[in-house]
Amino acid sequence: PILPEGWSAEKDFKAVGPLSPPTQRNIEPVGPHFLAHARRKRHKRTFSEDERI
Amino acid sequence: MSAEESAPARTAIGIGFGNSYSSIAYTTGDGKAEVIANEEGDRQIPSILSYIEGEEFQGTQAKAQLIRNPKNTVAYFRDFLGKDFKSIDPSPCHASAHPVEHSSGIAFSIRDTEAESENTVTVSEITTRHLKRLKTSASDFLGKEVNAAVITVPTDYSVAQKEGLKASAKGAGIEVLQFIHEPVSAVLAYDARPDAKLSDKIILVADLGGTRSDVAVVASRGGMYSILATAHDYDLGGAKLDKVLIDHFAKEFIKKHKTDPRKNERSLAKLKLESEATRKALSLGATASFSVESLADGIDFTATINRTRFELLANKVFGSFIRLIEGAVQKAELDVLDIDEIILTGGTSHTPKIASNLQTHFPQSTAILAPATSVTAINPSELSARGAAIQASLIAEYDTEDIEQSTHPMVTVTPHISKAIGVLCISDDEQKGIFKKLVEAETAVPARRTAHFAVPREGGDVIVKICEGVREIKVSKPEPKPKTNGKPEGEDDVDDDEDDEDEDDEDEEDEIREKVWKAGKVLAETAVKGVKKGGKVEVQVNVGGDLAVQLIVREVGGKGGVRGNIGKPTTVENGSA
Repeated sequence: PILPEGWSAEKDFKAVGPLSPPTQRNIEPVGPHFLAHARRKRHKRTFSEDERI
Repeated sequence: MSAEESAPARTAIGIGFGNSYSSIAYTTGDGKAEVIANEEGDRQIPSILSYIEGEEFQGTQAKAQLIRNPKNTVAYFRDFLGKDFKSIDPSPCHASAHPVEHSSGIAFSIRDTEAESENTVTVSEITTRHLKRLKTSASDFLGKEVNAAVITVPTDYSVAQKEGLKASAKGAGIEVLQFIHEPVSAVLAYDARPDAKLSDKIILVADLGGTRSDVAVVASRGGMYSILATAHDYDLGGAKLDKVLIDHFAKEFIKKHKTDPRKNERSLAKLKLESEATRKALSLGATASFSVESLADGIDFTATINRTRFELLANKVFGSFIRLIEGAVQKAELDVLDIDEIILTGGTSHTPKIASNLQTHFPQSTAILAPATSVTAINPSELSARGAAIQASLIAEYDTEDIEQSTHPMVTVTPHISKAIGVLCISDDEQKGIFKKLVEAETAVPARRTAHFAVPREGGDVIVKICEGVREIKVSKPEPKPKTNGKPEGEDDVDDDEDDEDEDDEDEEDEIREKVWKAGKVLAETAVKGVKKGGKVEVQVNVGGDLAVQLIVREVGGKGGVRGNIGKPTTVENGSA
């Protein structure tokens, strides 16, 4: 979309609202991607930290 | 014992343990799962044990004993493990050894020694003996002692049942690394194929077994699976289809010989065994023969049946399968249009009519993975064992403690975003724009997705609106136009979005139901200035574990870009699972 005239925000970014409340669900502890997720969660790493290792 | 467990020499296999059949699988050096055949050459090994004068028989040999020796033959015992006698349904065991109440739960009274007297053998002991045999078959095949396994269980298997199974496995010398759910195992078996592409999709897994059927709706997001809903039917399965054939052939027999073979236990057992074989033949060929020597009153019986006839007779049962599957979709609060893939697993999934019925009930865009509808489908009988074998190979190196920690609810219970997040394209008015999904609903956090969006042709400054999306089902009457056979032609509708699907629920109904995306709450707006002609904008959404969102918006090939954060929702502690 084209930027409307007169639109401005600090550093060109404007946060409007947060996400809708999430639902708590169980992930199935299966598969390589889950194991990677569990590893991140247990070591409290983020995606990029995990990729570096 | 912990010292023994930490020993590195672990040989792990995957076990698909079922009421009717069990199978075992291992992973080859290059990570491919293979199902192991036992010494009789069976890949689907009947979960049956039989005793003749102290000698133990299992699998197909034991199954044959259901005719001559039903009292000392134990079958359909998996669902009795760890259960209370009053809570079980013993009807599948009617034709074999009956379950009896025992101080530790359920047992069977069988003559399993050479002595003339009966022994009471607990269901857990039966399971141990069964698993021991499976272990021996796998060990013989692999040439080394198998000492660990991942075992599949139904989604409604209780903690007590898992504990019971774990104890039985231990008695058989098998360390259970992990229990995994049967539907998830089937999904894993497909996703682990080298040519499989991971994507965000909703998968329906229909596990059609011998005496029960289970359906699960699974959200697959970036290779992680969350079960949205399950449905079970403890009375529906291949045995119901066998019953159709039993009744059909029994009636034929009565017409000719005036006696009902169903009245005699032994004749009924013969009918049952042969009906199952005939049904299996009908899954492969268009006609099958049915023949039993000395069915009743010493009369032999031979007949043939073709597939069309069988499908007609079994129409009602097929309808129940469809109802069970559609019920699960409703339970997940979804529409048939939301289902991207259907995986058919379990032995009864070989039946071609079930797959083709599903094809007419679900939109064309839904991929139905069954041998009858997909050339790349994996044998449905092997899926759960394969998935288990893959999981076993992934975690075999881990310490037991590591596995326990990783599967702990602290790790598995995770917020899932309730609405899709995407970018509003075309228009800057949130009522009119076209919503393009970036992160699907029901994605577990943290999650990261990146996508490219085309900007208006002339380039220039653009605004990127990130918003939540809501899926709606639009029902519209098609314009009257010449139609071929009541089905709207695929090329007739303007397909500018891959999410656009059309579907006709029933051929008589002249309405088109389609999935449309409505933009919901706007989350953030960003501006990207001076985009080149025909350029693209890359949008990366990073949803954190606390549901704070980090956005990076930049022109493809460009530098810098806009970064921004959206705070986490204030009501974090809610969310009822």
